[in-house]
This record gives sequence, C-alpha cells and structure tokens, in this order.
Amino acid sequence: MRKICLIIASLLAPIAAGAAPNPEMIVVCYPGGAVNAKDANGAMNSMLRVVERVGQWQANSFNSVFITKPDECRKQMAEKNPKFAITSLGLYLELRSQHNLVPVVQPRIKGRTSERYRVMVQKDKYKSLDELKGKTLGGTVLEEPAFIGRIVFAGKYDPASFFVLKPFNQAIRALRALDKGELDAVIVNEQQFGALGSLHREKPLEAVFESGEIPLMGVVANSAITTAEERARFGKALEGMCTDAEGKKLCELFGVESFVNVDAAVFEPMVKLWTEGK
Amino acid sequence: MLSLMVGCAGLQRDHILTGLPSGCPSQNADALLAEQNQLGPLSDTHALLCAVNVLRGTQDPAVRRTALGSRLCLHLAEREANQEKREKFAAEGVDFAETALAQGGGQDGAVHYYLAANLGLAVREHITLAMENLGRLEREMKQALALSPDIDDGGPLRLLGALYLKAPPWPGGIGDLDKALELLEKAVKEHPGHPINHLFYAQALWEEDDEANLSQVKAELALGEKLLAEGNWGYNKEAWQKEFAMFVQELGEAELSRR
Repeated sequence: MRKICLIIASLLAPIAAGAAPNPEMIVVCYPGGAVNAKDANGAMNSMLRVVERVGQWQANSFNSVFITKPDECRKQMAEKNPKFAITSLGLYLELRSQHNLVPVVQPRIKGRTSERYRVMVQKDKYKSLDELKGKTLGGTVLEEPAFIGRIVFAGKYDPASFFVLKPFNQAIRALRALDKGELDAVIVNEQQFGALGSLHREKPLEAVFESGEIPLMGVVANSAITTAEERARFGKALEGMCTDAEGKKLCELFGVESFVNVDAAVFEPMVKLWTEGK
Repeated sequence: MLSLMVGCAGLQRDHILTGLPSGCPSQNADALLAEQNQLGPLSDTHALLCAVNVLRGTQDPAVRRTALGSRLCLHLAEREANQEKREKFAAEGVDFAETALAQGGGQDGAVHYYLAANLGLAVREHITLAMENLGRLEREMKQALALSPDIDDGGPLRLLGALYLKAPPWPGGIGDLDKALELLEKAVKEHPGHPINHLFYAQALWEEDDEANLSQVKAELALGEKLLAEGNWGYNKEAWQKEFAMFVQELGEAELSRR
C-alpha cells in the first residue's frame, strides 16, 4: 500500500518554482508509512509533469501536504478542507461524513483493485486467531487500530484489547522479529504477503487469519466543494496516467497497472462494517 | 563484469567541460597521479577542473584504471550548487569509474566507491532513475565495502548505510533500517572523526521512531556538528552544514508537533 500511496501522491505534487496563482491543496495521508515528507515530495515532483500533461492542467495547479500520522491528517483535513485527498481506507471511512468524501479512482495491481490482510505466525505455533489473545501483534498497518478491528477483522476482534500491539514502520523489521520469536504474530497486507518468499527466514510462516476482500484506496474528493465534472476530469487524468509514455514508466516502477474509475458500490460493505463497529 | 554490461541507466552523458579551463598549469596525468593526495576537498575548483581536463585526455591505462578522475568529479559535483551542472559532473565521475573498471581497476575499492557516490548524486533528484539504479548502487557499494572499507573515513559504510536508510523499504525496495543502523553504527565506531558518519547515524536512530533513542540522536548530532565546526573540511563544509541544518529542522518540527 505504501508505494501505491506514494505514486498517487506523486501525481499531485507541487514543484517549488513557478506555482500557479492559487494552487489547490491536496492532503496526502499515509499512516504508518516509512517515508518522510521530504522524500515523498522528491518523488512527487518527478511525476508532476506527467499528470499535468495528461490532465491538461496549468503547470503547478496543485500543492500538497504529506502526512504519516493519523492525528495530523485529521487536523490538516479540517484546516485545509481540500477538494481532493489521498487517504487510507480507514481515514476515508472515518472522515467521509465530516468531509463529504467520495472515492474517485482506485489503483489496479496484478489485475486486482482489492486486497486481503493476513495474520502470520510461525508455522504450527498457533492454530487460530483466538489463540493469540494477549499475544504480541506487529506490523506496519497498526497505526489505525479501528480500521483493523472494524474492517480487517470485520468487528470480531478489537485489536487494542485483544492483542498487545507493536507497530513497526518497516514490515521487514516486524517479520524479522517474528522469525526470532520476539513477536507472536505479524499482520501483513497483500503486497507484503506476496513478497514473503523473497525474505530469508529461519522458520516457516503460515497465516492464521485471512480477511475478506478489502478495496484498495486511491483518491477521494469532497463532493460538497467539487463538481461532478471536476471529479471526472481528475479521475480521467489518473486513468490516463499509465498509458502515457512517461507515466507508464512510473506506473511500472511502482507496480501499478492502471488507475480505474471507482464503482462506489465496492465501498458500501466497508461503510457498513465501519458503521456497525461504532 | 556483469555490472559493467548493465551500466547506469539514464545518466546525462554530455559533459559540461569540453575545453581547457584557462590558466591551467602545465600538467601530465602521471604527475597528477603521483600527487593525487594533494587534490581533494581543500583544493580550489579551478585546480580540480584543470586536473580533470588532463585526465580526460590521457590514454595511459595505469592512470585510467584508477579512481582519481571519478574522485575529482565527485569533489566538483559536491560543491556545485546548480543541479544540472552537479549531475553532469557526477555523471562524468561515473564514466571515469566505468572506464577504470574496463581497464582492470575492479580490485580497487575506491573505483567502486566513487562510482557509487557519483551515481547516487547523479540520480538522487530523479525518482525513476534512482529506482532503476538502486541495484547498481548497492552492488558497487558492497564491492567498495568488501575491498576498501576504510577509504574516505569509512565512506563505503557511510554510503551503504545511507542507501539502506533512504531507499524505499521492502517489499518495494532495498531500504532496510536494521542494515542501516548496523553499518552506520560501525562507521561511527571505526571512523569517529567524520561528521557525516554521526549525522547519518543520528538520522538512522531517529528513523526508529523510538523516544528512548532521542538522547542518543541528539548526542550524535551534537558530536557531528562539533566535528564539522572545528575541522578543516574545505569546500565540503558548506554543503554538510546544510545537511545538518535540514535534520535539525526536521527534529525540531517533530518535537514541536509532539507537544
């Protein structure tokens, strides 16, 4: 998810010189990420020309603020009241009513626009999630425990009370700790799960929990302060990104096949789970 | 050999200096090589430009297989404020190093080290280039570390540590905070006199996002600043001061936001 956020964020980034008169602020929320704002902005700057060309905007029409802490994200969303934002699914669900958020585009990766989360343990050490009660759970996605509880665990477990949570800013560090027995379990997203084979491990791992399909999050818009046309234009520009000669290179670099228009129905079950979990 | 064939993706190959800089002393490559220790961060820019120009023209394999041209280009690149010019100096430094490898300089760790340092400078502002060259950077730095770990006050440890610190982490990249901490701690212990070793180690400790590290982060930072202020670092001093200032600012902003 990290690199997906980064590429989407990069599409909307400012460059320092020659900004348009009133650049539109994009709030980029990336909880739990191991990337700092300076690095992210460097990446963003490289991609700006592509999206401007594809979307036919005036140069530097957008500005952005990049945040990795959920509290700071809530604050910036309130202060900036942006037309467009890039958020995690958890923050979208939390802030959607307050800021009239609607999804605009989703990334497609390896043919999919959704992912599953899994809880990994050392093989044969635990048979089920229930056996992990009171045990340590690590991972990069624990900055948003409400999202994990309501969406990933579908409301069946409250991570904050069920586990001893150990957030990490790099998945590889959490998995090493699991391998050494310093953690009992690690929660991984689809991208991390798919890459487990590339890691050297002393002990084999297995999943004791697999979530349902959870949609990948992309760009959202405030429907109260954007028109349908603005949202469509934004979405169209992003959809064209990966077929543009230069944009294609960037998409390939980040493993994103394309950006696709959002089917709002995809998010309805998530909204239901979130609301039921309150 | 494989790395030679792979090459460095996408670098600007048009060098910015094609003519002889005016007022250069009469020099030949052999003499430069014999006195190469006199050329470094303390040398004025004109002297470095003259030396690089001599090295460009030499066909002497004994000179061409060394890291000298690459090292001098790195000094020029590091002190150059203009990004385009900086990247061209760095790209030429990569060319010098690749020539050295082609001439049989592969067992000289300095060739790999200056190749990697120049390559890093040439691509760091360009995300696609940087990502395309991550593998090459890592390979060259590892070779430098294996062959000549102590050159440039632990330069291979410092650079490889910084690469693992700054690169995107697994599964998207080679970034690895554990490896960064290990290498940079070693750099600080084995080469405590270099200010940037302390700065990078402080940054790695800070990346751990652990309150317990804060006092050590500040101690490493203070030590690095003291070494920088008191040492004669020549043209490197200004650029390094900026690096320190940026981290001090980041630290300050983070502390403010926590209150």
